Amino acid sequence: MALKTYRDLGKKLSNDLVYYIMFLPVLVFALVFSYAPMAGVFLSFTKFKSTSPDGPEFIGFDNFENLFVGIKSDLFWTSFGNTIFLSLTNLILATVLSVVIALLLNELVSRKGRSFIQTVIYLPHFMSWVVVASIFTIVLSPSDGLINNIMKFFGAKDPIYFLADEDWWTPIYLFINRWKETGWGTIIYLAALTTISPEQYEAAEVDGAGRFRQMLVITLPALYTTIFIVFILNLGKVLNIFESVFVLQNPLVYDKSDVLTTFAYRVGVKDGNYGLGTAIDLFKSFMGLVLVLTTDAINRRIRGSSVL
Amino acid sequence: MTRNRFVAAFVLVLMLSAVSVFAQTKPKSIKLMVDGTFQVKENGEQVLVDGFKALTGMDLILNHPIHNEYYTKVDLAFATGDVPEVVLLGGNYYLKYAQAGLLADLTKYYDASSFKKNIKDPSLVEALKVNGKLYGIPFERGNGTITYVRGDWLEKLGMKAPTNYAEFLDMLRAFKNKNPDGLTPDQVIPITAAGLVNSEYPLDIYLREFYQDANPDFVKVGGKWVDGMTLANMAPALDRMRSAYAEGLIDKEIITNKTSTARDKWNSGKVGAFNYWAGQWNENLQKSIAPNVPQAKVTPILAIKETKYIERPSTVYAITKAAKNPAGIFKYFHEFVLDGAKGQTWATFGTEGVFHKVVDGKLQWMPSIQDPKKAFTKAIISAEIPMNKWNSRYTSSDLITNSLALFQASNKAYGLIPFSEEALELVPDINQIRTKYVAKIVFGDLTVADGLAAYAKETSKYSRIILKELNSQK
Repeated sequence: MALKTYRDLGKKLSNDLVYYIMFLPVLVFALVFSYAPMAGVFLSFTKFKSTSPDGPEFIGFDNFENLFVGIKSDLFWTSFGNTIFLSLTNLILATVLSVVIALLLNELVSRKGRSFIQTVIYLPHFMSWVVVASIFTIVLSPSDGLINNIMKFFGAKDPIYFLADEDWWTPIYLFINRWKETGWGTIIYLAALTTISPEQYEAAEVDGAGRFRQMLVITLPALYTTIFIVFILNLGKVLNIFESVFVLQNPLVYDKSDVLTTFAYRVGVKDGNYGLGTAIDLFKSFMGLVLVLTTDAINRRIRGSSVL
Repeated sequence: MTRNRFVAAFVLVLMLSAVSVFAQTKPKSIKLMVDGTFQVKENGEQVLVDGFKALTGMDLILNHPIHNEYYTKVDLAFATGDVPEVVLLGGNYYLKYAQAGLLADLTKYYDASSFKKNIKDPSLVEALKVNGKLYGIPFERGNGTITYVRGDWLEKLGMKAPTNYAEFLDMLRAFKNKNPDGLTPDQVIPITAAGLVNSEYPLDIYLREFYQDANPDFVKVGGKWVDGMTLANMAPALDRMRSAYAEGLIDKEIITNKTSTARDKWNSGKVGAFNYWAGQWNENLQKSIAPNVPQAKVTPILAIKETKYIERPSTVYAITKAAKNPAGIFKYFHEFVLDGAKGQTWATFGTEGVFHKVVDGKLQWMPSIQDPKKAFTKAIISAEIPMNKWNSRYTSSDLITNSLALFQASNKAYGLIPFSEEALELVPDINQIRTKYVAKIVFGDLTVADGLAAYAKETSKYSRIILKELNSQK
C-alpha cells in the first residue's frame, strides 16, 4: 500500500517536474530570506546587547515583562496604541479610497484621460519616503510653505506648524500616506473590474438601472472578494509602518507618532539592545497574526468561506 | 637565605612587569574601526593606508562604515564578536564599552608614553578616565560650537557684537526688523539651530545664549547628581526660549531642523545667528554662503557674559580586549600618531604629494581627490586642535584661528557622566522625554510650570534609577 503511494507520488513528481523546477527558486528564496531569519526570534528571549561579549543569555520572558509592566511599559503601550490606530485607520482609508477611485476611473469613457490620470496617481508610489517627507515639510512649512501662504492670502493670522502640531500631525500623516499610495492601490481593483462581464451591465441597462445603480448592484458585489482578499493581505503587514513615521515625526508629536517599529529601531538598533528590540518586533508580528486570523474568522462567519 | 631568594624573586617579577610594559612587539597589522572623520574611500583612504604602511611597515586594516551608521556598526561589531583592535569612540559609547569591560586599560601605557609630556592640557585626558582608568587616547581636542553672526549686518546696523543677553536679543530684533539686506521680518530667521535639545551630548551645546547656566542633562550640584531639568535655573531658561520663540526670534521650524537643514538656511542668507562648530567650520560656512550672499561675513562672537560655550569630551582611539598585543598597538599606533614628527604629519596632513605639499618649508593643502575645486582640510585629525604641542609647519587661515581663539577664550569643558550600563539603557528614553517637554514649553503648548511638572511626573521612574546609580558611585 505504502509502496503504491510512493509510486504515485513519484509519478506525479515526474509528470510535473518542470513546474517543480520552476518553483524551486521561489522556494529557496522563501527559505533563505523568510524562514531562516525567523531563527532570530530566539533573541527576544535573551539578554543580548552590544556589550554582551559572551553572546545572547537566555532570560525567558523578562524582555516581555519589561515591555508590558516594566520600566519601558509607558513608551511601549503608547507606541502600541499609536501603531494600531495609525495602521488600521490608514488601511481602512486605503481600501475605501482605492475602491472609490478605481470605480471612478472605470467610469471614465476617454481611454487617454484614464491613462493620464492613472499615470499621475501612480507616480508618488515610486518616490522614496525621504523625498516625500522633504516635499511636504516644505509645502507645510510655517515660514513660507504653500499651504500657509494660501491661508495667509485668505486672511489667516497665524501660520500653522502642521507637522509639529499634535492635532494636525495624524490627519496630515494619513493624508500624505494616501497621496502616495492610493493610486497604486487601485491597480488590483481595476484589474478585477475588467473581469466583470459587460452583458451584466447591458441587462441592467435594459432593466432601467442607471450607472450609479449598476455600480451598486453589479460592480461592488463583483469586487467584494477582491476587496476582502486585498484587505486581509494588507492586514498581515499593516503594523509594519516605519519609514513614513520615522521621516515625519519630531519631538513635539512623539506621543502621537511613536509606533512599535520606531520604538524597536531606537531600542534595538540605536541603543544596541538586540534582545529587547527583537521582543518588540516579535510582539508586533504576533499582533499582525492575530489581526489576520480575527478578520478571517469574521469573514468565515459572514460568508461561510475562508480566504486563507 | 630564604629572605634573599624572596627579594630576588620579587625583583625578577618587577623586571618582568617592566619589560612587559616597555618592550613591545611590533604588530604586523592593526584592525582599525573609524567613522567619517577618516578620509573616505573616494577621497584618499587607500593613500593614507599605503602611507601608513610605507612609514611603519604595518598594514592598517580598516573597518570604515558610513558616518551616519558608525555607532550602529560599532554595536554590531561588538555584539557579533567581529571586534576591531582599535576603535574610535566618543561620549557615551566610550563610556558604555569601558564600563562593560570590553576595552583595554591604557593608563599605564599613557603614563609611560613618549607624548604624555607634550599634552597641552592634561586635564582633558584626565576627564576621560572611567573609574580612575583611561581606556582611550584622544588625538585631538573635543572642540565645540560657537555662535556665528552675520558680521556684515552688524556693521551696517552700526552695532557691536553682543556681550550680554539683552544685547543679544537686541541684535536678533535688529536683524529681523531693520534688516540691512532689505529682507522683511517674515523672511528673516534671527537665530536657528538643529533642535532645542541636541540629539547628541552635550544636550545644551546649541542655543547657549538661552540656556545660559541651565543644563537639561544630569548635573552634579554640591557633590550630588541631580536632573538638570528639575533645578531652579531651568524654568528661566525655558522662559527665555519661549519668549524669544513667541517673538519670532528663534527659527519657527527649529524642531524639525536637522543640522544640514540649519546649515542650508544659514547658507541661504536669511539667518542672523547660528551656533555651529568652531574652527574649520568658520571657513566652510564662509565659503558656502558666499555664492548666495557675496557680502556676507560669518563672524564668530565671544560667549555672552551669562554663559560659556561647551567643549565636548574628545573622541578617543581605544584598544579593545580583542587585541592580543595592546602594548604593541599603543606603541606603534597611538605613539606614532602623536609623535610630533612623521607619524603626526601623516595623521594630520596625509601623504605628501597627494594631501599636502611643502612650499618654502611650510605645509600647504592640495586639491581634494573627490572635489578638486576644494582643498583637503585634514587627513584624520585636525591640524588646529591637536592634543599635544608640536611644530606642524602649517599656518591655518585667520578665520579658523580666530574662531578657535574666541571659542577657547570662553568655553567650559563638558565631562562624561559616569552612567552605569543599566542607566545608559534608560538615558535615550529620558532624553526623548526631555526633548518633548522642552519643545512643548517653548512652542507654548504648555506653560513652563505645567511642562516641568509633567516632565517630572513622566520621568520619575527613570530619574529614580539613574540618580540612585549615579549617587551610589564613589
